[in-house]
Amino acid sequence: MPENVRDEQIAEPAAQDERRFVSTQAAEHAHEVPAAAIAEPIFDVRDVAVFYGDHRAVTDITVRLAKRQITALIGPSGCGKSTFIRCLNRMNDLIPIARVEGQVIYHEQDLYESRIDPVQVRKRIGMVFQKPNPFPKSIYDNIAFGPRVMGMKGDMDEIVESALRRGALWDDVKDRLKANAFGLSGGQQQRLCIARALATEPDVLLMDEPCSALDPISTGRIEDLMLELKKNYSIVIVTHNMQQAARVSDMTAFFTVELDAGETHRTGRVVEYAPTDKIFTNPDDKRTEDYVTGKVG
Amino acid sequence: MTGAQIAAAARRQTTVIPRRRRGEAASAWGFAGLMYGAVGLAFLGLAAIIWDFAGDGASVLSWDFVTSFPSRVIPENAGIESAVVGTIYLMLICAALVVPIGVMTAVYLEEYADGTRWYNRVIEVNIQNLAGVPSVVYGILGLAFIVRGPLSMGPVLLAGGITLALLVLPVVVIVAREAIRAVPPSIREASLALGATQWQTIWKQVLPGSVAGIATGVILALSRAIGETAPLLVVGAGVSLRFNPDGLDSSFTALPIQIFAWTQDPNQEFVARAAGAICVLMIILLLMNSVAIWLRNRYEQKW
Amino acid sequence: MAEHARIHFQDELRSLEGQALGALDLVVTTLDRTLEALEHQDIELASIVVNDDDRIDGRFLEVHQGILSLLALQAPVAGDLRTVAALLHVIRHAERMGDQCVNIAKVMPLVGHEPPSDEQMLERIFKMGRLARSEVAQAKQAFVLRDVSLAQDLVRQDEEINHLNREVFRRAVEIGTDEDRREWAMTMMLVARALERIGDNAVDIGEQVAFVVTGLFREFSDASHV
Repeated sequence: MPENVRDEQIAEPAAQDERRFVSTQAAEHAHEVPAAAIAEPIFDVRDVAVFYGDHRAVTDITVRLAKRQITALIGPSGCGKSTFIRCLNRMNDLIPIARVEGQVIYHEQDLYESRIDPVQVRKRIGMVFQKPNPFPKSIYDNIAFGPRVMGMKGDMDEIVESALRRGALWDDVKDRLKANAFGLSGGQQQRLCIARALATEPDVLLMDEPCSALDPISTGRIEDLMLELKKNYSIVIVTHNMQQAARVSDMTAFFTVELDAGETHRTGRVVEYAPTDKIFTNPDDKRTEDYVTGKVG
Repeated sequence: MTGAQIAAAARRQTTVIPRRRRGEAASAWGFAGLMYGAVGLAFLGLAAIIWDFAGDGASVLSWDFVTSFPSRVIPENAGIESAVVGTIYLMLICAALVVPIGVMTAVYLEEYADGTRWYNRVIEVNIQNLAGVPSVVYGILGLAFIVRGPLSMGPVLLAGGITLALLVLPVVVIVAREAIRAVPPSIREASLALGATQWQTIWKQVLPGSVAGIATGVILALSRAIGETAPLLVVGAGVSLRFNPDGLDSSFTALPIQIFAWTQDPNQEFVARAAGAICVLMIILLLMNSVAIWLRNRYEQKW
Repeated sequence: MAEHARIHFQDELRSLEGQALGALDLVVTTLDRTLEALEHQDIELASIVVNDDDRIDGRFLEVHQGILSLLALQAPVAGDLRTVAALLHVIRHAERMGDQCVNIAKVMPLVGHEPPSDEQMLERIFKMGRLARSEVAQAKQAFVLRDVSLAQDLVRQDEEINHLNREVFRRAVEIGTDEDRREWAMTMMLVARALERIGDNAVDIGEQVAFVVTGLFREFSDASHV
């Protein structure tokens, strides 16, 4: 067979050595998914960095988070995933020494512009936390809290029922709406927190390790719920559980933590941001490969 | 050695769970004994006090005793109505002042104050100090600024109430801060994440969750105030008044004052009346503490 | 800063790879024996080859089970997952190659002790045998070293086998009218075909090497280009 025919058929360039991971320079921008891939992002994050006092906790985050999809943030401890997700609903404002630089464009507005009220931001972007944190009130009052504080118009009974249905909890509690929320099991409490966040009709749900404190069955139910919810909501989830990220998410961002030259400061950044399938079958960056295969923790 | 002997020797050498050493058991018992002894001593002291006044006082107690006014001359007719009413009014004024100011101060310190600012640090340090200041100093404060000085109210009910309020305010602030701090940050986070403002979070989540603790603390602070004699003396409470206070600007007396006066009296009969007044004061204290305990048990928030 | 975790899993994966690639060593041994039996008309050696195929089949089952366990229990991802998937292909190809050797060994009693033979055909067939053996060994080496260029080189050798196969076919067509000779020639064609299939399987293993390294599956050469 003539040489050139063979070359055509073998499109992949023969590697000089075994390593076929892209060079580090290329990897710097590997996470910037081509714009065409996510045409209408729900969050357009540009050069975001978070400082706690003088310490730079995360840096150089530029990603476009997809609408009505689930985006997972994975990475080792201390890499800034939780810090980053809290930027999206301005929860970092609650920490006095925290400072956020960069832009987070949401519905064509930069959330960190000076005239934006963080309270209004949080009405449209819901959040669920690692440990379920229902209020010590009745189930009804838990769900109704957000709408009441917002001054939502409408029949509160209907609003509560609708939220509980969307949170896959209605059937469990419809006969005991006045019972104290603390009487629910852990998995139910977390679904209550999800329903509570949905009651204010956000279009985004941020979830910071929502299943870490739950048993596998409850975890499975909440993952099913997430897959159902993504039809109407954009979801961003931080998770330590890689299998969970693999199971539920459409896009995955891998964070890593870097030590500075003096080996004193740890700064997180996004190394690779790609469809989940790619991250778990054929990632571009060696650091991603090492993390997901468990070689480096 | 036989097989059985070998096995027994092996067992002795390799006991998986070692037996308790001799000294340990003895010291455990000794420590328990000391603890019971301490409790016993405390109860003994309390019993001695109660025995002391109950014996004398019980015979004096009667409905007449509580509903008649004190007399300087005839012990048998001396009652404590004015003192009881004065005490109750003082407590009401004290509570009315101390609850809002104390709770708001606690809310400010816990929820709004930036701990790095110098003025906040000054406040922090001094709250603890103020709680330990001798009560007579508060009396002098009241005398100088409220009874005389800028406010110049004179020795009236309101002045006494304000002085007592100043006395217990630090305690209420401390207690309220503890109760507010007991509300976990996760509750605040959840509320804020839902789009509530900080004030809405405090008013609708934090305060309702700390009400039991605050109420309990307020009652305990008041039960301390109820027995304070020195500040009221300095401020100018009256003795053996034959009328109930008829307004905030009226002279007043209180149970501790009356007790103090009667125990000074050379007439033994009056001393006996004092014992009776002490019984009444003790009963009021017991009631207040019972209410505090009931409130705590009923409404305490377990997070 | 690199902490190495999942050492147990890495060891298991390496061991599984050793087992799968070890099967290729078994294939080389089997192929050597087959060619020797063919050359010296050794019926006994041929029957040993047939019986020993059980070893390769057994290895197939072991590796297959090992892969299932690893997938279920360790949930490999990324490069590890590609390796595991590739090993499944490798062991399957090894088993097929073993079967082809058995096919060759089985035709031998048919040929008879004093067979009519054609020098040209025999020469080409033994050349094919040597090339096939070299391909199997090289495929194993390429996998061990994860060397894509070594894997791609298999195509060149395989083309030679294909060329020789075509020549054997032509010789068989031109062999003449003698019945015995024709029978022998057709039997030799079956042998040639079996050797050619062994070569194809080796090239397939080479494609798996490229898949593990690059994450993309591409055929090195279309089977239709004979």
